[in-house]
Amino acid sequence: MISVENLTKEFETVTAVKDISFDIDESEIFGFLGPNGAGKTTTIRMLSTLIGATSGKITIDGRDPAKDGSYIRSMIGLLTESPGLYEKISAYANLDYFSSFYDIPDEKRKKNIEKYLKMFGLWERREDLAGTYSKGMKQKLALCRALIHKPKILFLDEPTAGLDPASAHMVRNFIESLKQENITVFLCTHNLAEASSLSDRVCFIKQKIIRIATLSELQSHEKNKRVEIVFKQDASRYRNLLESIPGINSLNIMDNTASVFVENPESDNPGIIRRLINNDIDILYVNEIKASLEDIYLELIKDEETR
Amino acid sequence: MKNALLIFKKEIREIIKNKNIWLPIFIITIMFSIAMPLIFSLISGSIFEDEDTVNFMNKVFGNVDNPEMVFINFIIKQFLIFLLMIPAMVPSLIAPASVLMEKENNTLEPLLATPIKTRELLFGKALTAMIPAFVISTANFLILTLIFDIVMYNKMGYIPLPTAEWLVVAFILSPILSFLLTMISIIVSSKSTDIRSAQGIGSVIILPIYLIIGLQVAGFFLINITYLLLACLVFFAFCPILLRIAVRIFDRENILTKWKMKA
Repeated sequence: MISVENLTKEFETVTAVKDISFDIDESEIFGFLGPNGAGKTTTIRMLSTLIGATSGKITIDGRDPAKDGSYIRSMIGLLTESPGLYEKISAYANLDYFSSFYDIPDEKRKKNIEKYLKMFGLWERREDLAGTYSKGMKQKLALCRALIHKPKILFLDEPTAGLDPASAHMVRNFIESLKQENITVFLCTHNLAEASSLSDRVCFIKQKIIRIATLSELQSHEKNKRVEIVFKQDASRYRNLLESIPGINSLNIMDNTASVFVENPESDNPGIIRRLINNDIDILYVNEIKASLEDIYLELIKDEETR
Repeated sequence: MKNALLIFKKEIREIIKNKNIWLPIFIITIMFSIAMPLIFSLISGSIFEDEDTVNFMNKVFGNVDNPEMVFINFIIKQFLIFLLMIPAMVPSLIAPASVLMEKENNTLEPLLATPIKTRELLFGKALTAMIPAFVISTANFLILTLIFDIVMYNKMGYIPLPTAEWLVVAFILSPILSFLLTMISIIVSSKSTDIRSAQGIGSVIILPIYLIIGLQVAGFFLINITYLLLACLVFFAFCPILLRIAVRIFDRENILTKWKMKA
């Protein structure tokens, strides 16, 4: 559905995006992650035909954005970082205005407006000025706007920013449900838990692509696996012993828990546990902790910075 | 065209609600088109009874058959030049509001992500400033014509308006001036984040019109059909240049990466 080859964007003296390539399949949720200034918004803008690329090639639904910009914009939905609503007109008028630029029959357009306003719980307040809405309500209204013309591809820049937990949960469930409607989602977020729960694949970017993989692929390629050992007594008493055990690459201690980092838990764990028991240490339990997306993200960004 | 009209319709609805825009226009209309001609008409009788004025008229217009009528035509020309302020002022109030409103609400990016073409966006914004300017200017010209003609017919049995100069100003010079001021205001607004400063710059741009008014009132020249047609030509020559600059400024990438946006 989306194909990007060696895409670069330069702004005068700054290179915002450098030589990135990826493919996104139809109805895939593609998480796009990176620190501030990594080039996420620039990439979204290039993919949604808002700005051109300095070099490289983009294909969206088989079309070239440089030639078929208007067609591509008619089949994508964009949720920008800030909701971008006309605050002095009603919520309904906002949706009516934006949706009127798409080639949809009036009857259908009105039905879609009603459908999404009801879905996001805004129907009762449809005649209120958008400026009187809370931050979360504005975000929901902006999401309605991005969906109103039933796009094939949805670009979401921080979709749950500013939402209360219940609304954020509802939006996440909704994004997940888009897969059933064959909508491709390009999800740009800082919320790593959200990215890991929703995305089929994640892409880490910092000007150039650091890694693209599924969460399980990322976890299996982690250099150091974390093993949590919970002792009956304060774990700091065993610091020297733990540091002397071969296989433990690093160590964190908090209260009666020691988090040890090993390369291969299957071969390293038995030796570690044996040494602790031989020293008459009472162990309550041992648990291998799968790396979260946050751990992986931080490690990748750190590696990239030290390179 | 359909998309430009959609923009125009939405913006006009918002402008009607914004009294900071329509109130100055309303005041200017009352002042120049109703109050000034009415005051002149009411006091014109006493002007012609004043000895100094009569002496002045005899000195200046002494060799004509009807100095009073010539004096009235002279006054009409003064009013005419004051009325040029309206097609200049209306776009310089509306266009910055229209562009800055998009910046304040951060609506440009979602708007540009729709299938709309940037030239349609520019056209819609230009219509928002130019159509009210044309309607208000024409209404002002008509009101002034009506008041002048009724009063002068009752007092002197003479209908002074419209004249050829009047028609050139109303239907040629005013639309050209509106277009120029609309383009300038849009260009200025793209670099501004604050509506007051954009409108302030707009009011500086119409300073040459004040200068023309001042020069005529001071007696340096008196507008006539030749001067007016010449002004039309000069202003018209600037139209494509300003349009080209505005089109370049209204490029999608330019808007998103180079326009000064509100934080």
